[in-house]
Amino acid sequence: MKPLGLLLVVLLAIIGVYGVDRNNFKSCDQSGFCKRLRPFKPEKSQYTLNLDSVIVHGNVLSAEVTTVNTETEKKITLWRYALKLSALVDGTFRIELDEADPLYPRYRTQLALNGEPKADGLKLISNENGKLTLSNNQGQKVLITSEPLKFEFLDKNGDVAVVLNENSQLLVEPLRVRKERTDDEDPGNAENAIEVEEEGTWSENFKSHHDSKPRGNEAVSVDVTFPDADQVYGIPEHTDKFALSTTTSGEPYRMYNLDVFEYELDSRMAIYGAVPVLYAHGSKRTVGVFWHNSAETWVDVVNYADGTVVSSLVNLVTGGQKRRVDARFMSESGIVDLFVMLGNTPADVFRQYTTLTGVAPLPPKFSLGYHQSRWNYVDEADVRSVDENFDAHDIPADVIWLDIEYTDRKKYFTWDLEKFAHPAEMVANLTAKGRRLVVIIDPHIKREAGYFVHEDAMEQGLYVKDKDGNVYEGWCWPGSSSYLDFFNPAATKYYAERFRFENFPGTSKDVHIWNDMNEPSVFNGPEITMPKDCRHYKPPQDGHDGLASFWEHRHVHNEYGLWQIRATHLGMLERSDNKYRPFILTRSTFAGTQRYAAMWTGDNAAEWGFLQASTRMCLSLAAAGISFCGSDVGGFFKYPEPELMTRWYQAGAYQAFFRAHSHIETKRREPWLYEASTTALLRDAVRRRYALVDFWYTLFYEHTLDGTPVTRPLFQEYPKEEDTYTIDDEYLLGDKLLVRPVLEPGVKSVKVYLPGRDTNTLWYDVDSYQAHKANGYFTQEVNIAKIPVYQRGGSIVPRKERVRRSSTLMANDPFTFVVALDANNTASGSLYIDDGETYDYQNNKYVYSKISYEPNRMSYTLVNPAAQYSTRAWVERIVIAGIRNPPKSARLLQGDRSSALQMTLHRGNDVLVIRKPAASVATDWTIEFAY
Amino acid sequence: MVISFWIGNFHSFALIICTFVIYACSEVPRPRGVSLSKSSLYSPTKDFTCFDGTVTIPFSYVNDDYCDCFDGSDEPGTSACLNGIFHCTNAGHRPQNIPSSRVNDGVCDCCDGTDEYAEPDTCKNICEEMGKEARAEAQRLADLHKAGNHFRLELIEKGNKKRNEMAEQLSQLEKDKEEALKIMAEKEALKNELEAKENEVLQVYRDAEEKERQRKAEEEKEAVTKEAMEYFTRIDSNQDDVLTTDEIKVINSFDKNKDGEVDQEELQYFLGNNENVDKDTFISTTWPLLKPLVMMEQGMYQPTSEVEDNDQDANHDAVGELDNDDAEEENVDEELAHDVDQDVEPEQSSQSYDEETQKIVDEATEARRQWTDAERTVREIESNIKNFQQNLEKDYGLQQEYATLDGQCLEYEDKEYIYKLCLFQKVTQKSKNGAAEVGLGNWGEWAGEDNNKYSVMKYTNGIACWNGPSRMTTVNIHCGLETKILSVTEPYRCEYKIELATPAACDESNITQQPSHDEL
Repeated sequence: MKPLGLLLVVLLAIIGVYGVDRNNFKSCDQSGFCKRLRPFKPEKSQYTLNLDSVIVHGNVLSAEVTTVNTETEKKITLWRYALKLSALVDGTFRIELDEADPLYPRYRTQLALNGEPKADGLKLISNENGKLTLSNNQGQKVLITSEPLKFEFLDKNGDVAVVLNENSQLLVEPLRVRKERTDDEDPGNAENAIEVEEEGTWSENFKSHHDSKPRGNEAVSVDVTFPDADQVYGIPEHTDKFALSTTTSGEPYRMYNLDVFEYELDSRMAIYGAVPVLYAHGSKRTVGVFWHNSAETWVDVVNYADGTVVSSLVNLVTGGQKRRVDARFMSESGIVDLFVMLGNTPADVFRQYTTLTGVAPLPPKFSLGYHQSRWNYVDEADVRSVDENFDAHDIPADVIWLDIEYTDRKKYFTWDLEKFAHPAEMVANLTAKGRRLVVIIDPHIKREAGYFVHEDAMEQGLYVKDKDGNVYEGWCWPGSSSYLDFFNPAATKYYAERFRFENFPGTSKDVHIWNDMNEPSVFNGPEITMPKDCRHYKPPQDGHDGLASFWEHRHVHNEYGLWQIRATHLGMLERSDNKYRPFILTRSTFAGTQRYAAMWTGDNAAEWGFLQASTRMCLSLAAAGISFCGSDVGGFFKYPEPELMTRWYQAGAYQAFFRAHSHIETKRREPWLYEASTTALLRDAVRRRYALVDFWYTLFYEHTLDGTPVTRPLFQEYPKEEDTYTIDDEYLLGDKLLVRPVLEPGVKSVKVYLPGRDTNTLWYDVDSYQAHKANGYFTQEVNIAKIPVYQRGGSIVPRKERVRRSSTLMANDPFTFVVALDANNTASGSLYIDDGETYDYQNNKYVYSKISYEPNRMSYTLVNPAAQYSTRAWVERIVIAGIRNPPKSARLLQGDRSSALQMTLHRGNDVLVIRKPAASVATDWTIEFAY
Repeated sequence: MVISFWIGNFHSFALIICTFVIYACSEVPRPRGVSLSKSSLYSPTKDFTCFDGTVTIPFSYVNDDYCDCFDGSDEPGTSACLNGIFHCTNAGHRPQNIPSSRVNDGVCDCCDGTDEYAEPDTCKNICEEMGKEARAEAQRLADLHKAGNHFRLELIEKGNKKRNEMAEQLSQLEKDKEEALKIMAEKEALKNELEAKENEVLQVYRDAEEKERQRKAEEEKEAVTKEAMEYFTRIDSNQDDVLTTDEIKVINSFDKNKDGEVDQEELQYFLGNNENVDKDTFISTTWPLLKPLVMMEQGMYQPTSEVEDNDQDANHDAVGELDNDDAEEENVDEELAHDVDQDVEPEQSSQSYDEETQKIVDEATEARRQWTDAERTVREIESNIKNFQQNLEKDYGLQQEYATLDGQCLEYEDKEYIYKLCLFQKVTQKSKNGAAEVGLGNWGEWAGEDNNKYSVMKYTNGIACWNGPSRMTTVNIHCGLETKILSVTEPYRCEYKIELATPAACDESNITQQPSHDEL
């Protein structure tokens, strides 16, 4: 007999211990430039602005910046740089610092910005005592100190809001020619002394991977100081808290898009996405910076209020003032290109960021419904059975998903014809009930003779090349694969054309696309991605040969996935002659992703910790422009027990992207595979989502107008309430619903923070219409069916109570308006309606109305009367919660119609229901109340 | 299934041509979406009270596209209530109840199209066609069951016969067992008697052997002592009959790790905690430790490599861990085999006995063999009995119609695999590219729903999936003229589904009669 202990050890080894293998991923010390730059903290910055070179023209200040050896008496100029400071609309400035005459052009990130930022005016106000003062048209000022170089951005009150290079960590490593080692050179030569090359300059190794670094070191860095800030946020994607932590005692936050198997929680490790925008918030103001760089990036954060920050440092730097946060960006390549957004409120700064990188366009409405996915629905019969089971169990669903197994042995744009012999018929079965199909298309292409994509890509040179200029081969799902180089316009064009219906038989306008593995994931690559010395396409240009004739993967890594989804988006537009809105889901993200795709938080696990993380991760992403975010409901790895599954559906129902997904090796878990009581709870959660699909749709429409997040942190709406600054298990939908999903097992109650005490805000429990006065935390009792959601007093939320099989089938259904009264007995809201799938709304084919309630009248008014949409939808019910003095009669006035309405009082006589006003939502109307 | 749940069980005689919103033009006027059986609950001359009794509303509120009742009963004909039910008569086919959410959603759910009255052109009335098809299908099934019933009766007859035979065989076996036990007892007695004799005569030889063994041990000990003494004297340089550490330190043989010096650790090894060692202790303790080293120096002794030893241990452990069950079984088998060997041939001595003794030994050996044979016979019979009992306990259907199928194996091939179902035994899967056979489950139980227990078989506890549960197979049984597999699928990972046709499932009397009187 073997001892039992041994057996257990072996069993554990076989079952597998869940968790990331950290050894596969670099720490700062293992990443050459991070190790090199992190300790770089000179007493005094070597960077100096040459005041004689300053030119202000239009919205731009240009000047020469030099580095000077500060250690010698003689001020020897070491290197020359070109500085550009631009004033942009909406309280934003841009600082660009590049070498004046670089050996090769340095990479400037191409796709993050939504076109060239719009210019504001810039005036030079004074140039005295080595200090420049500038102002934009709004009177927001920038102070530039020439030596050492420092930038101070002032808020509207004239207080310093953002400082650059306060800690002297501004750095642009100049590109240099690689010197062949010659021992006979004069060691006394001063220039040579500087060029003593550190190990790792011209190559680095990680595990068994070699990085040839043909350009040598080319890192950039800048430090940013936020006076008066209590917290900083942003730089997703991480599993850490929403409010960022001080990094001095550990690793910096890392941004490098990676396919991290079994990623860990509460970590600053890099995962799939990187959005280098950082916000600083305090009771005085909110500001932000956007680090426009697509290379590997590390960010250090020091919050002087943190207990971990040595108090001597606090005293030294701030004179005891604890309200200050410093951040520092370090990137492996590129230029220093930083946008400074001056707020002054959270909503302002979130908008300023989407002004730069674009808003999420209006998604097709179905994509706001419920998505059912699995790796994999194995064949057409399986898809049919899942589809039918939704109806049999009366659970609405809008989309069925197919993961990689639908393809002919992982060849994208093909079908496994054994299992999916009639894809068009399968799709037609779904669309008959208003449902859609989403199929996966990844950027790796199977290297197989006879596979048309591979052969075309080889023939036309559309693949990413290796360091020697040969086609790069990596390992991914299909086995040996190559990767489309979307930087090449020919590759983007070719790939986009694959989506044409004739090129991808079986697809139609109702088949949408999932771009996974686009970090890109390379199973045998360094850190499971592409080697940094791989070559990407660069448009040919005179004089740009050799190393200047291509971009290295290191320059572009974090935006690779963005290039793919952009190409997918283009292909989906073209396949329908720009008629239908594409829906795309991406795993890797970068600044600007929101213009093309929704995202999800990747391969999570069926654990409570991942449910909790999904809320804060999506909050962070939404603040970084990507509101269309969700997690794999139920967890990708492992199997969720009924309670976890229930809570995840309940949380998912209130997250923008609501999709259940699971790993191929896990037990099946469609909602009806649980006990009937659990299935009923899952049904209830999904139905709640469908009742609010039009509300979500309106929020996404309003996001296109104002660029602020759809899912919001509490501090966005209540910026003065300090308790809200670190809340990340609770959030707002628009400014109307407050959601605090139950994220903990076995709890009988949860603590909910209700903001708005100073303004006497009321929060109505959406299940009971019971009003709670905002007063910080209160204890909400919960049972397994309870989802704590509250409607703000003063808001009107449109609902559809007739939940059908899919959102499409609900298009003509009537609305219920829930009017939650504030302390002044007023409320307002809005509603957006269009056809849900085309771009006709851009030609004024929509209805967008403001709804307002006052004690004497309620009105529904189209914001843009020129915009019309002939919807048959109508108002079946108006619920007025919190009414203290109910009217005696009500009369609807719409067009020529004038009709008396019936009303009934409910609950403790404080909920008034107007029965069937039957007003059309296509035109204006009012209801007049008499007392 | 929600829909079938709501299907009522009644007939309609009404000719339906709808023209009004609320009333159907039939002999019995009733609101839209109400079944005949419930029509009396909707009286236009009275206020309407919700079925749950909570609210009473004017009759004009019935089907006015606004939900007044919590139970949805006021809106049988609209989509206003989330929990409402819409009834379609489906003249020509089966009537149907659908959730209200399917009314006027643009999808044709009722074959008569009445659920989409808002856009009357959306749906055609296809009940006649569907009814015809359904009736044809019902007829086909009825015919099949009828045809199959003949075979089924045969199966029942054979099954009962088989069972009776088995019962007979079982009682025969019980008798055989008694007989065999008797024989075994006789043989045992004989064996014991002869073995006693054998013991007696062999005692003489054993005593002699023991003496010889003792003598040899004695000699060996003396030789060792002599050897040790000689060595002791050689290294006891001052000849004081005590070896001190100084004396030892100069002797290479004590340098165990061959690093050129005899260090503290090595002294400790040979002397324990003593400073020195006298003759007796040397002989009893030190010499046995030292001797291999001395011999090695003299090139007479090759040590077994320690490293190799460890490796072998490790390998053995690893095998045991990975394949624990098998390993244990092997061990058990070995032990058993060993036991048996001992019983049968306890003393395989090369020694030759005198003729008389040899004869007695041979007799005893023969008696042992006979007893073993008798015992084996008993075991075989017992195992047979167990098999028969198990089979008799198996549930072969209400009328034993599945009894003759026990052990019958059916194969099915798809693109990648060959599946084999041995009824009431197991299900296996073999990859066509030659990988090993995988067990998809062993006979578990009948698992059909209460009123149809024999429609589903479950085979459970197959080979476990990686990171997942044990494989299992569900077999759905249909009436067919021959017993064969219709399809094999894996709808859920590691959960297989076999559709099986067999005449055993055909039953004329048990066909759910299609309600032909539903027709007009």
